[in-house]
Parts: sequence; structure tokens; C-alpha cells
Amino acid sequence: MPIVEVKELYFSYDGKSPVLEDVSFSVEKGEFIGIVGPNGAGKSTLIKLLLGFYKPQRGKIYLFGEEIQKFKNWKKVGYVPQRLSIEPTFPGKVKELLLSAASDKREFSFLVDYLNIKPILEKQYNKLSGGQQQRVLLALALSSNPELILLDEPTVGLDVHGVSHFMSILLDLKANHGKTILMVSHDIGRLLRHCDKILCLNRRVCYFGPSEGAVGFVEEVFGLRGLVNGTLKL
Amino acid sequence: MELLSYDFIQRGIVAGILIGVSSALMGVYLILKRLAFLGAGLSHAAFGGIALSFLLGADPYLFTAIFTLVVANLVEFLTKEKRVPGDTAIAIIFSSGMALAVLILGVVKGFGENLFSYLFGNILVVSKRELAYAFGVFLIVILYLALFYKKLIVLTFSEELAKVKGVNVKLMNYSLSSLTALVTVASIKAVGIILASSLVVIPAMTGLLLGSSFLGALIWSAVASLLSVVGGIALAFYYDLPPSGAIVGISIALFLLAYLLRNLPLK
Repeated sequence: MPIVEVKELYFSYDGKSPVLEDVSFSVEKGEFIGIVGPNGAGKSTLIKLLLGFYKPQRGKIYLFGEEIQKFKNWKKVGYVPQRLSIEPTFPGKVKELLLSAASDKREFSFLVDYLNIKPILEKQYNKLSGGQQQRVLLALALSSNPELILLDEPTVGLDVHGVSHFMSILLDLKANHGKTILMVSHDIGRLLRHCDKILCLNRRVCYFGPSEGAVGFVEEVFGLRGLVNGTLKL
Repeated sequence: MELLSYDFIQRGIVAGILIGVSSALMGVYLILKRLAFLGAGLSHAAFGGIALSFLLGADPYLFTAIFTLVVANLVEFLTKEKRVPGDTAIAIIFSSGMALAVLILGVVKGFGENLFSYLFGNILVVSKRELAYAFGVFLIVILYLALFYKKLIVLTFSEELAKVKGVNVKLMNYSLSSLTALVTVASIKAVGIILASSLVVIPAMTGLLLGSSFLGALIWSAVASLLSVVGGIALAFYYDLPPSGAIVGISIALFLLAYLLRNLPLK
């Protein structure tokens, strides 16, 4: 049974121009899927549809074999958004946030150790650096020990070291904890290196398959030859 | 301590603390959800409810509480279900409530004096029944916040994350609006319609400035509110000032003090 199954999905914000059209793909347990595409291709909308924030207007979405409208077990799903724009006066400490979201103390302790959060536990979320904030968001996503993790451009604004560290955690989650991961990112080179499969979107599915075969399709969608291998001349 | 020898002052202080603390605690959540103006909108909408209760010969307190509850839920419905921007929805109910009151005052003569007494309130003439209402609202607020403390932290952090974490975001938002309505009706007695929102917003903002954690912000907001009520009533008693103005004046002074403290180069 696929963890995620999308069939002929259609979605439009205004009811006229589709953001997603005839999108079909499926994700098996333990796969790491990179979602790429130009701005406005429907990547973030797809993630929000998979999270049940929007309802499909046509087509079906199945999570863990269950139609999304009937799906209730959201603890099986973790979500890491782009950097959140939190109210500047939000006073919550990292510890308060994690304790509020974690299923129990054991889960809390595991996350603190696993993501090396102890040094920032007593700090207010709003006073953390971008990289630290993203680590806390990942901890919140993992706090119910989900099987499926959806990430929407989680590394935006991080420096090279921060991105590498974040990716190494995701790879460990896949390799050693059996998590299924779907991640939207513009860091195409990194996704091609690390993901099992690439879903290239541009309103429709342009490519869905092994990373190795994705290069040509991705370059065609972006209209930029040499984008992936670094020989691009502008 | 001459102040505390009067029965009406004692009752005023107790009612003021109950109302002030409930308002401040709710205010923390409203500010974090960018709904600080909801209190002002609801208190002005409540003016329409009060006028309507006079016209229908209904109990003003009970009728206004129900009226304001309906209006608060209408705001939530308009913003979340019909995508009306929050500030616009609040502006609509603000104006509608006032317009309703003005219309009733224009059509039916003789309500004026009674109705206008609600505009500025007076915590020192609180009846036993009003004190009981304030106590009831205080208990409900404390119980609600204790029961849903963790969920409310995640909700005010991010509604999207809260939903994925299994929080019933819709139910929580409607219940927050409903409680705000109950607290606002209680505040009308303490400081009147015009200043009711100040009890919701100003001590809560002081708490958010001083608190270095979520719990800390809640505690500081309650302390700021308590000091404002007691200080305001004392000021009103000794200098013959209107209690509502004195309470809000102290809360603004505390806010400014908190702002200065936070921005002092202490390190």
C-alpha cells in the first residue's frame, strides 16, 4: 500500500485557472521524494492539499490508503513549513513549544537529544537564528513520531552549513528511522543527489521517477540548459 | 486602609480583579492571533445589544451576553468561512452595534440616561449579581486556559502546525471568540463600552513585553491587570476621579514602564 497516492488531482484557487491539473503519482514507504518546479508551479499548493488544508476539486488523494477527506490520524504526518512569520511578541520558549507538541516526555527527550536542541531549550523561539528555528520546526514535525514528513522549502534562508546539516538529519531519518519524506526545494542539485525520486511539477507532472533520469526534464521545465551540472551560462 | 473599610469598594476591587485578570489572560491570546481589536469591536457591538434589551424589556446583562456571543461567532464565521479580512469583519460589527443603539435611542425616548451609563461604566457600583457574573466568567476562563494550555500555545504559534498536530483549530477559534465576548461584557461594567478593550489589550501587551516565556507572559499580564485595577480604584477614591479612567490610566503607565524596562541597556 502506498503511503501517498494522488490520482488525477485538479485544484484552482479562483475556479478558473488551474494551479494543479491531472496530477498523479504515488509514494512508497521509506522513499525520499524531491518536488521541484518553477515559482507558481503548484508545489506548495500540493503540500497543502496533502495536509488537508485545501480540498481537491477533482481527483483523489489517499494517505496510508485512506481517502484524505476521511483521514483522521494526522499524528502519522509531520509538516515543516517555510520559515514561519511568527507574531514578533510571541513569548514561547523552545521547551514550552516542544512540550506542548510532543506526545510524551520520552518523545520530548528523544527529540532534544536527536536534534541537539538542549542548548536552546530555554531560549525564546523568536530569538533563535534561522537555522535553529528550522531545527525546532523539524522537532515539532517529528514530535508525534510521524511516518510521513512533508517539507515545504525548509532550508530557505539557511547558509550552506545550515542546509547541509538539515539535509543530513533528513537522510538519517530516512535511512535509520524508515521515514517517508516529501520535500519541496529550489536546491535542485542537492535534491538530485539525495532523493530517490524527483517529482517535477509545472501545474502538471513533467517528470516523476528516479533522480538519475530527471536532469533533462528539470532543465527543460526551467528552460535552462546546464542548470544541474553547473555549466549554465546566463 | 480607609479604602478597604467600604463595602462597595471591596466589592469593586474583587469584581475589578476578576474582570481584569480574565480580560488580560484572553488578551494575550488575542494579540498573538492579531485580533487585538476584537475586544473593541465586541464592546461597541454590545452597545447595540444593551439598547435592544431595553427596547425588548429583557434583562440587559443576560441579553447582552447572548447578543455579544452571537456577534463574536459571526466575526469568526465571516473571517474563517467567508474569507472576510479580520479587521473588516470587526469594523462591520463595531459600526453595526453602534448604529443599532443610535437608532433605538432615536426612535424610543427615555432610554438615554440609562443607556449612556454603560458607555463609561463604574466598577464601584457593581451589584452582587454582576459580581457573580464576573466570578463565573473568571472561573470559565481559568478552566479553559488550564484545559487547553498546550493546544493554545501551538495554536498561537501557527494554526497550520496546530491542525497537523490534531488540534481542532475551528473549535478552538470559535471558543476563544466566545470567551472574549463573555469577558468583554464583564469589562463593560468595570470601565464602560469605550474603554472595555483597554482591559483586554494593555495589560496583555505589558505581560508580553515582560514575560520571557509563554507562562511568564500570562502571569505578568495578570499582575499588570491586578495592579491597574487596585491602583486605579485607589486613585479614583483618594482624588475623586472616574474609576474607569484611573484604571486604564494606570494600565497605560505600567505598559510604558514595561516598554522602558525592556529597552533599557541592562547588559
